[in-house]
Amino acid sequence: MAYVSRRALCTTGATAALACVLGLAGCNGGNASGTDAASGSSAGSAASASGDVTTMTSGTLTFATSPDYPPFENLENGEYVGLDMDLGRAIAEELGLECEYTNIDFDGIVPAIVAGGQADAGLSGISITPEREEQVDFSDPYYVDNQAVAVMSSNADITEDNATDALNQEGVKIAVQSGSTGEAFAAENFPNAELVSFPNFTDAFAAVNSGQAVAVCGNSAVVQQMLSGAYTDLHTVYTSATGEEYAIAVSKDNPELLAAINEAIATLQEDGTLDELIAKNMG
Amino acid sequence: MRTAHVRPARRATAALVALALCLTACLAGMVAPRQASAMDVVRCTGRPNSSDDKTVIQGATQSRITFEATVEEGEGVSVLTLTIPQDTTFETDDLAVTLLSGTDLMTRNEVSYDLEVVGQNLVFNFDEPLAQAGHLNIIVYGVYFPQAGGDMQVEATYRLASGDEHDIEGIPVIPVQGISGTEALSQWLEQQPWVQAWNANRFLHLFFDPTILVTSFPVVLNGFFMSVAIVALSFPLAIPVALVLALMRLSKFVVWRGIATTYVNLMRGTPLFLQIYVAFFGLPLAGIQIPNFPLGVIVMTLNSGAYMCEIFRAGILSISKGQTEAARSLGMNRVQTMVYVILPQMFRIVIPNLTNEFITLYKDTSLLAAVGVMELVMYARTIVASTGSITPYIVAAAFYLVITLPLSKITRHLEESLRGGKKRKRASTAEKGADAQKEAAHA
Repeated sequence: MAYVSRRALCTTGATAALACVLGLAGCNGGNASGTDAASGSSAGSAASASGDVTTMTSGTLTFATSPDYPPFENLENGEYVGLDMDLGRAIAEELGLECEYTNIDFDGIVPAIVAGGQADAGLSGISITPEREEQVDFSDPYYVDNQAVAVMSSNADITEDNATDALNQEGVKIAVQSGSTGEAFAAENFPNAELVSFPNFTDAFAAVNSGQAVAVCGNSAVVQQMLSGAYTDLHTVYTSATGEEYAIAVSKDNPELLAAINEAIATLQEDGTLDELIAKNMG
Repeated sequence: MRTAHVRPARRATAALVALALCLTACLAGMVAPRQASAMDVVRCTGRPNSSDDKTVIQGATQSRITFEATVEEGEGVSVLTLTIPQDTTFETDDLAVTLLSGTDLMTRNEVSYDLEVVGQNLVFNFDEPLAQAGHLNIIVYGVYFPQAGGDMQVEATYRLASGDEHDIEGIPVIPVQGISGTEALSQWLEQQPWVQAWNANRFLHLFFDPTILVTSFPVVLNGFFMSVAIVALSFPLAIPVALVLALMRLSKFVVWRGIATTYVNLMRGTPLFLQIYVAFFGLPLAGIQIPNFPLGVIVMTLNSGAYMCEIFRAGILSISKGQTEAARSLGMNRVQTMVYVILPQMFRIVIPNLTNEFITLYKDTSLLAAVGVMELVMYARTIVASTGSITPYIVAAAFYLVITLPLSKITRHLEESLRGGKKRKRASTAEKGADAQKEAAHA
């Protein structure tokens, strides 16, 4: 009856992700003894063009990404654009592979890489943290980012001069993306404030715009991008050079791929391609 | 007498003068070293590492110390000694030492140095004395504060090129709490051979990691209370809403019917997810400011009301027309008929459906996660995002089942007893009929 249709409608990102990985688990159930990350669907995986790199689908390098994070990754007219997306294509080209992107919620990317079968690597503005390093291997960093806090321009209480103290007050609500380094940064530096977590970073900005939170804290490049685009009523009041490093997450079972990606990043760094891509995307 | 009066006055003056002198000395003392030693502490923080509370730093769990101090133009700091608190262990493999410069302090300058570790002292001998204005930022990784916790005081001294040594004063303490029970249990589990064997299996590690299971349990429990609170408020609130809607839909007046039908169709025809978005981001823009929790309850009530309306309507329609006719013939008016005859019978019939609706509503509270309501899924999700393990979702699933399994069992029971009740009635009338036939046969 009515309930059936409703249940079908009400799938959240979370449940979808869970279902997704459950499906995956079914896939990998056969090799529960844990032999190879790229087994299951890829029984016929073969060495790629570059010789010793094993990927899910032969000849294709699949990245998991959550395209809600401009200027690193987002969808424009169905096209994956942004620094990470350009970098992924450049790396695949270096390795002589086809580049493919698969859309997974940010908090599902690391689990998906661990489980295997969904993607070869995670490329989604992922900062290196000790917790994540327990689950996956990280490539060499390709971008260094900082933290920024933005508030409504009309907010006279929190300004650039007093932000450090004014943000660290009881009753100040700071919107963050759940599980992000911005959340960890706000918790470390503004322990008195109340954190409001959103699964999607864009919603954290919407929350400030609509008054659900006073400030938004997150990676500087993304905050700048959002402020110059959709959220012009906000302005940055606080920045901190945390120097967190973005890297590509690769399964611990695929060191060959990690080495190949590192090599490609080194080449792109040397020949200036990476700097070009950064300049192009960060404007 | 006179002298006696004068004396205290003199004493008071003397005391005042002394106090003034003392204050001046203090102020001078505070200001003077600042002028001489221009390195001021900007921050000294530990990275929170508790899964229970995002702002808590606890002992015996990996953390990180971030120390930042100002460097003046041309100061020439040649050596900096950072003293890590007693009983705190740390790693020196990947220390990050950066001089942040520029007006916004966003330019990163690598600082080259020789490191000497003497006990708890990290001695940085800079290759070139620091002379550029900016903030010297040092991050020490792999820090484990003492298990018992306490206020951790990092100390720092520096030597100028001239050889003068100064302390950096006023470094804030890092408040560290004792390790929580679950965290300690998790660390103990991590050492156990069976846990290591268990985690060697990829599937078990990803979905049922015992170490994450125990740490996420108390955290997700917070969300459980939140979800239960939302549903415990919105479900009873939805019943009167639904009842009014159901009566409106059955009304003779087109306007009432039209309003109720439109509302029900709108609420049932659009995903709850979108309704939540509209309520949370749309209403504030329209100038209506409602805090997260009540707003969540209101949205769930309004949505559930539409579904329940259909349950009630069907329930009312299922009561045979004879009941109404009988009540009316007894002289009851419309309202009396509805209140005393129809509704009591209707409620009995719809109880199983209402229980189902309760289950659905309870599960749907998970959708509020998208707008920052800290309920079950949101708590689980936060841990999933930071640890990269699916285990917290499994914990969340268990918390849903704790409520839904017993309830579906009750629903089944109610449905059976309802059906059974009817059967029994029929059986008894059949018996009576049989008896009557027997009697007739006897006669």
